Amino acid sequence: MSLNSKKRAGATFELERGYRRMIVPAIIAVAIFAIVPLAGMLALSFSDYHLIRGSNGEFGFRNFIKLVNDKRLMNSVYVMAALSLFGVAAQVIIGTTVAVGLQKIVGKWRLGRVLFLIPYAVPHVAVALIWLSLFTPTLSPINAFFDLFGITVPSFLTSQYGAIFAIVVADTWTNFPFAMLIILAALQGISPDLDEAAALDGASRINTFIYITLPLLMPALLMVTLFRFIDSLKHFPMIFVMTKGGPGRSTQATNFYAYVQTFQNSNVAYGAAIAVLLFIVAAIISFYVARLNQRVSS
Amino acid sequence: MIDRSPEYRLKKAVGVTMMLVLLLFAAVPTLWALLLSVRTPDTIFEPIWESPLAVTLDNFFKITRSDFPSALMNSFITAGLSTFFSMLVGVPAGFALAKSRVSGKFIASWVLLLLRMAPPVGFVIPLFLAYVNAGLIDTYTGLVFAYMTLTLPLIVWSMWNSFSQVPDELIEAAIMDGASLGKAFLLVALPAARPGAVAAAILGFLVAWNDFFYALIITRSSTTTAPVAVMNFISYDSVDWASIAVASIALTLPILPLMAIANRYIVQSLSGAVKG
Repeated sequence: MSLNSKKRAGATFELERGYRRMIVPAIIAVAIFAIVPLAGMLALSFSDYHLIRGSNGEFGFRNFIKLVNDKRLMNSVYVMAALSLFGVAAQVIIGTTVAVGLQKIVGKWRLGRVLFLIPYAVPHVAVALIWLSLFTPTLSPINAFFDLFGITVPSFLTSQYGAIFAIVVADTWTNFPFAMLIILAALQGISPDLDEAAALDGASRINTFIYITLPLLMPALLMVTLFRFIDSLKHFPMIFVMTKGGPGRSTQATNFYAYVQTFQNSNVAYGAAIAVLLFIVAAIISFYVARLNQRVSS
Repeated sequence: MIDRSPEYRLKKAVGVTMMLVLLLFAAVPTLWALLLSVRTPDTIFEPIWESPLAVTLDNFFKITRSDFPSALMNSFITAGLSTFFSMLVGVPAGFALAKSRVSGKFIASWVLLLLRMAPPVGFVIPLFLAYVNAGLIDTYTGLVFAYMTLTLPLIVWSMWNSFSQVPDELIEAAIMDGASLGKAFLLVALPAARPGAVAAAILGFLVAWNDFFYALIITRSSTTTAPVAVMNFISYDSVDWASIAVASIALTLPILPLMAIANRYIVQSLSGAVKG
């Protein structure tokens, strides 16, 4: 090894040490603010801690055994699946439609895309409250409008499927612009030459979209779907504000059910066990997303 | 190629109609909130076409006499502080992750993603118990700490992404010229990644500003944030819809300029690939 390269190796070593020093504070902060609470959640999930009665110091798998036989948990998983499935599908379809439409608009009308972005800026509590007002029959302009024609719009929030529909609508309203933004960016990366070439070959616009544009959009669509799916596991403000999990338990998604068990039934240990379950799902999906990311960048 | 066949026109009409319907869907709730905010209390349940002139600005003055403005202030303070501290720790970390050859980058990216995706109910249960014991319930410190679980992973992830786009040669050249790593970071890399840093700070502020769940659990009356304080307009027997509309507007307005600045970075930082 020549002196020069030895020197360089030493310099690289110095440099790497400097880099590590820049990462350490973040690792400490993440450990304190995130890892410690998560370890706490895990510990609680094996305990018998109750907010009022405290703990008898028993540790074991009791909570997880209870989970398996919990009908309310199964119900909450179905609710979560329905909210995620319909919500994410609606957001991706509407987002893609609007993005494709907006991409064709050029000139001064381009500013119109701002109108589609506003719902994304509204905080979720405000989204929930605005849609709560729109789904309140005595107040809603939609009901008033249809009343003019003698049509009575049903009260969505008081029926099982209506309440799920209402939450899906509110969620879709505020989140389709996210899908739109990402699809729009992906569309801009697709060369217009491809469309033209297909048109010259006599392909119809719809066929061009299905066989050329859509496959090229797939990575973006996958990303949007995954991100929205993960967020939909965290449904809370809309359920809390619009339905409180009701009517009955028909909109009690799993995340909300964990809240109910912990803070309404004071059953902290059991709530933590439900949270652990959700956490495992998030861990699996985020692992997949991280792998996907790695592949995209290499 | 200009196509003006009837078939083309029909398709175009269908497309335009579809866009207009979707525009209606996007715009009506916002317009409705604006309308609610200026309706007089006694006409609020009447259709607008029956009393189109019953509008007032009183609702805006009324809300200034409630607790809502101080809750807005709390939101600004806690979202601002948690973003500030997360930037302080997260920006250098993002730089180092993007430029160094440390091992475990995949694990780091997984942990960062997981923390952003994990359901907050998992964090909030142990935090709540710890805060009750440490006397941190209903304090700024407690809320800022809780928000850092949201803002820090997001900011490290975004900055990792931004610094990856700064050419390695730029930093290598600065170090060749005798600059220390700290100087290369502050004087070369950071200015080059400034738009990304602005966007990361905005995104961090937005997640803290939008939070409802943490504030609901770990604050009481004195540090309650605006998203939780809005719920005070709903009482057991009545709902103050006009105030709710005003409050919703007050919650959204500060975000609009931030979104306008950050919007194209939102795309990058949410879906952008992290280069190893």
